[in-house]
Amino acid sequence: MVVLAVLLPVVFGALLLLGLPRALGVLGAGLSFLLNLYLFLTHPGGVAHAFQAPLLPGAGVYWAFGLDGLSALFFLTIALTVFLGALVARVEGRFLGLALLMEGLLLGLFAALDLLVFYVFFEAALIPALLMLYLYGGEGRTRALYTFVLFTLVGSLPMLAAVLGAKLLSGSPTFLLEDLLAHPLQGEAAFWVFLGFALAFAIKTPLFPLHAWLPPFHQENHPSGLADALGTLYKVGVFAFFRFAIPLAPEGFAQVQGMLLFLAALSALYGAWVAFAAKDFKTLLAYAGLSHMGVAALGVFSGTPEGALGGLYLLAASGVYTGGLFLLAGRLYERTGTLEIGRYRGLAQSAPSLAALALFLFLAMVGLPGLSGFPGEFLTLLGAYKASPWLAALAFLSVIASAAYALTAFQKTFWEEGGSGVRDLAGAEWGFALLSVLALLLMGVFPGYFARGLHPLAEAFAKLLGGGA
Amino acid sequence: MTLAILAIFSVALTLLGFVLPPQGVKRATLLGLALALASLLLTWGKPFAFGPYTVDGVSQVFTLLALLGALWTVGLVRSRRFEFYLLVLYAALGMHLLASTRHLLLMLVALEALSLPLYALATWRRGQGLEAALKYFLLGALAAAFFLYGAALFYGATGSLVLGAPGEGPLYTLALGLLLVGLGFKAALAPFHFWTPDVYQGSPTPVVLFMATSVKAAAFAALLRVAAPPEALALLVALSVVVGNLAALAQKEAKRLLAYSSIAHAGYMALALYTGNAQALGFYLLTYVLATGLAFAVLSQISPDRVPLEALRGLYRKDPLLGLAFLVAMLSLLGLPPLAGFWGKYLAFAEAARAGAWGVLVLALVTSAVSAYYYLGLGLAVFARAEETPFRPGAPWARAAALAAGVLLLALGLLPGLVLPALAAGG
Repeated sequence: MVVLAVLLPVVFGALLLLGLPRALGVLGAGLSFLLNLYLFLTHPGGVAHAFQAPLLPGAGVYWAFGLDGLSALFFLTIALTVFLGALVARVEGRFLGLALLMEGLLLGLFAALDLLVFYVFFEAALIPALLMLYLYGGEGRTRALYTFVLFTLVGSLPMLAAVLGAKLLSGSPTFLLEDLLAHPLQGEAAFWVFLGFALAFAIKTPLFPLHAWLPPFHQENHPSGLADALGTLYKVGVFAFFRFAIPLAPEGFAQVQGMLLFLAALSALYGAWVAFAAKDFKTLLAYAGLSHMGVAALGVFSGTPEGALGGLYLLAASGVYTGGLFLLAGRLYERTGTLEIGRYRGLAQSAPSLAALALFLFLAMVGLPGLSGFPGEFLTLLGAYKASPWLAALAFLSVIASAAYALTAFQKTFWEEGGSGVRDLAGAEWGFALLSVLALLLMGVFPGYFARGLHPLAEAFAKLLGGGA
Repeated sequence: MTLAILAIFSVALTLLGFVLPPQGVKRATLLGLALALASLLLTWGKPFAFGPYTVDGVSQVFTLLALLGALWTVGLVRSRRFEFYLLVLYAALGMHLLASTRHLLLMLVALEALSLPLYALATWRRGQGLEAALKYFLLGALAAAFFLYGAALFYGATGSLVLGAPGEGPLYTLALGLLLVGLGFKAALAPFHFWTPDVYQGSPTPVVLFMATSVKAAAFAALLRVAAPPEALALLVALSVVVGNLAALAQKEAKRLLAYSSIAHAGYMALALYTGNAQALGFYLLTYVLATGLAFAVLSQISPDRVPLEALRGLYRKDPLLGLAFLVAMLSLLGLPPLAGFWGKYLAFAEAARAGAWGVLVLALVTSAVSAYYYLGLGLAVFARAEETPFRPGAPWARAAALAAGVLLLALGLLPGLVLPALAAGG
């Protein structure tokens, strides 16, 4: 089943790349969403649908996939976000094909239970991302592309050394996660291997000061926001820290935990600060994303069960609302031809439903209780407070700031007087609106249900680090 | 058997070339190479020895790769003179011999047998590339002298001319070092790489394909048999990956750029020499031969001569198959999964990790991140918009081979296990 879920978007993506019509892509994204919804709803706990086949058995590499509570949640949010994008983003079929291809690779990344297979997906997802940027990006895309690629590869190629080290230095017979976990690294090896992972994952979180690729990446991507939504989902650093880097080398993590906590809190605050001054939607969302990822990373780095649970929940939820906001920005661009915040005025008068949708998405980002951003943010800060009250306070400032930048942007765009009339929601946009608002509400009101598979994982994680209940 | 087929075809065609039309010689050459390939596959995994000529796993794997490159080269060329095909055939003979012996004198003969045809091929289009070919010849002769001197010292240190003879002491180390220099020249390892950019740029593109793929395969087969001292190896790898990747950044011409990239790749391959794992090196070379061959094959369809980077722009619009294949080749050379180049890199790098050479390993990884800059520049240029220039669609043979190589790169990337056991049975 997991393999089917991974292959389904890949197959549809390949068909679209061969020139089949766009509608088929929407169908593929829809089917993928339904399948992943089914997988999530029927998830029995533990590792379900485990699949294993030899890839390079001599070297201890296996195509090993499985769906635990964590990956099941991400399967759902990724497929949902891509489906939302397929519904509303007016892009040509090949573009959507690349997006579906990337969805499949991201699903594989989240389901991989073999370190090397994880690495393969982690790297492979780069290819559709950079093709989308290069083929459909804006004027300055070449520069943005090189920044993006070099940051990514400078992080992830040295990570290959860490991957090799995680097996060879620990004496594990294979790259399977369970074998690696049974042979944790010790001493100096743990430190260096963790550092290798940390560099790659900090870039993909992203953490200050390794975030420099993010703003140009979003600014130069296609205005429809589809590529940005996928890019948001590609920010898997927090997950990778939780699943691989920290459990494989807890000793190494312990040596740099303070530093990482500090960087996470700084990212949260810095991102919020810059977002406040942003002049256009994509820059605003890029920095807001940085700020939110900082908060999420703070939770995981705190090493507490609440923090880890909250951080991961925030990561999953932010994929939907940040991705949704990028898509919304794409809708605004299509209506007004600009992404600059100051250029819109009073859109709520002519497009009240659009404004309501935007309000929901922005408030989820702010972390309003009852919407999907709140549970994760709250638990994260609770966990972070246990680890470091001062840094939690610092990160809390970013939560306040998020209200400032998000609501200011909303107010400037949709309220105030004047401005020309624009079209309200129409057609497939209603599907986008209903589905995303439903997801925001459900994830906000029933966090316990959505995070039901996360609890045991977060507990085990904290126990590994010597904390927890 | 492989040796006999190659030798018979070479000699026979030397005589028949004067009466047959060039196209006939081309077909006969292709037939000879294909038969040699078939004989190789029929005896796969079965060692065979006749005096110092020993066909073992290493010999089979690397001869296979060399023959692939030779077939590709001959297929791409339409020469009006039959000598071109013959030279490739003679060089292939030398390559097979070089890969199939441990005897230093036979190795020297083989080295010359593969080098002399290449000197001639490098100047194939008269007037052009003469300076480069002269450089190639002079440095090649010097390298052969180094090799010969190394062989003499080896005999002095061990009393034997067969590689693998036990020995120790400074004389023995020096001998191995000199052999390494001689072969490192053919493999284009820095600091013995100075001929590479000039020769690649000045020679006809199909010849460059041959040099970049087959010659490298043969040279690395011989290098596998030389138990190089790890310190010397570390120096060669470090210099090759740094010089190759950094110099490639500044290039404006595709063939010259790929010449530097081939130097860097020689450095990555040398990582597998730490443990002498023929399987890892063989797989790396297989992916490298496919990707580099593909790249040069595409370039040869754009122009037989130099290819400034601007000439690649818009290739995708003119010929989608060649454009996509070129992108696949670049991504595979860069080592991005899910393409075969990634597993090649993984296997070679794992050997260095197993030998504990972490410092060199990290340097190689960081420099391969640098290489993303120029590989992507090349690979994405084919999608760029460009003013319409007349473009003759690629020859059918070239397109079919490009398609096959591209599909293989993807298939081996997803299922590297398909061929690895076979390489192990050979190695």
